[in-house]
Amino acid sequence: MSTLKIATRDHRVSFRPGEEIAGAVAWQLDQALRTVELRLFWFTRGKGTSDVKVVQTVSFDSPKREEARPFHLAAPSEPYSFSGKLISLIWALELVVEPGKETERLEIAISPSGEEIVLHKLDRGADIASATRDGTHG
Amino acid sequence: MNDGGRKARAPVSMKARDNPFSSDRILSIRYRLHDLTWEQLMRRLAGMDYRGALVGAQGSGKTTLLEDLEPALRARGFQTKWFRLHQSMPRFSSASLQTFFSTIERDDIIAFDGAEQLNRLAWEQFKIKSRKAAGLIITTHRPGWLPTFLECVTRPDLLEEIVRALTPGGAQEILPPTAELFLRHNGNLRNALRELYDFYAARPG
Repeated sequence: MSTLKIATRDHRVSFRPGEEIAGAVAWQLDQALRTVELRLFWFTRGKGTSDVKVVQTVSFDSPKREEARPFHLAAPSEPYSFSGKLISLIWALELVVEPGKETERLEIAISPSGEEIVLHKLDRGADIASATRDGTHG
Repeated sequence: MNDGGRKARAPVSMKARDNPFSSDRILSIRYRLHDLTWEQLMRRLAGMDYRGALVGAQGSGKTTLLEDLEPALRARGFQTKWFRLHQSMPRFSSASLQTFFSTIERDDIIAFDGAEQLNRLAWEQFKIKSRKAAGLIITTHRPGWLPTFLECVTRPDLLEEIVRALTPGGAQEILPPTAELFLRHNGNLRNALRELYDFYAARPG
C-alpha cells in the first residue's frame, strides 16, 4: 500500500504572487524509488482542450521508501487562478514518484487577493451594480 | 445602498472547474467495446497483420479507441508512432513526412488519426512508405482506405452510460433525456456531451 502526502504550512491553499509556499511532503512506498519530485504547475479545465505548464520543480535526492521532506517554493507572479463558465486556470502542487504511477495533488490558488478570481461573478456583480444604479433592475 | 446584498443573492453560474462535462473529464472516459473483448479485438488486428481502419462518424470514439490500442500494442512488443491530421491541419509538408518516416522502425505501428484528410494520391504514397513499419492503423469517417478493423458505432444507451459515469448520483434527472440528445446530435457523442457542458455552465454553481 503506497501513501503520498502534501501538506502546506498551516494548511494554506491561498497565496499571493511572490509569497512563500512552504510545507512538507511524505511518502511511504512498497518498492525502491528512483526519483521523487514536487511540481508546482497550472492547468486549465473547461470546455476546450486542456493546457498545462510546470513552473517549478523540487527534486528530493536519494529518496528512501519511507520519508518526509520539507519544501519551499515561491508563488509565481502569474497567471492568476481564475474561473469562468468556459475555462478555469488551476494551480496545484503534485508529488510524483518514479517508478510507479502514483501521484498526489493539492490544488491551491494564486492571485493578488489570494483567492480564485471568479469571472462570471465579477460580470454579474458589475451588471447588477450598474443596473441598480441606472434604476433598471429591481 | 444595498448592492452588496443584491450581489450576495445573485445566482452564480457553475465554474468551469466544477463542470462534470469538462473536456478532461470526458477524455477520462475511455472506449467501451460492445459485444467484443479486448483480447478478441487484438486477435482480429493481428489477423489483419496490424493493418486496418477504425471507421466511424465524427464523435464516435475512433481516436479514443486508437489511443487505447497503444498499451495493448506495447504489451505485444510494438511501439506506436503517431501521425495526426484534422480539419484545421489537413495536410503535411513533404519534409515533415520524410522526418516522420525516418524515425519508423520495424517494430513500430503507425497510428494515423484522420487519414481521410489526405487525397488519394497522398494516401497511396503514405501507404507505400508505411510498409517499413510493423503495422498501420488509421481512423476514417468512411470505409475503403484500408480493410475495416472495427466500425465505431454509437448508441443512445452508450451515451446514457457515459452521462451516468460523469454526473453525480441523481443528477441525471435534471438533464435533457439522452435519447433526444443522441438524436439531436445524430449520434455524435462528443457534441452531445458538449451540449451538456453548456447545460451545466448555465446552471447556478
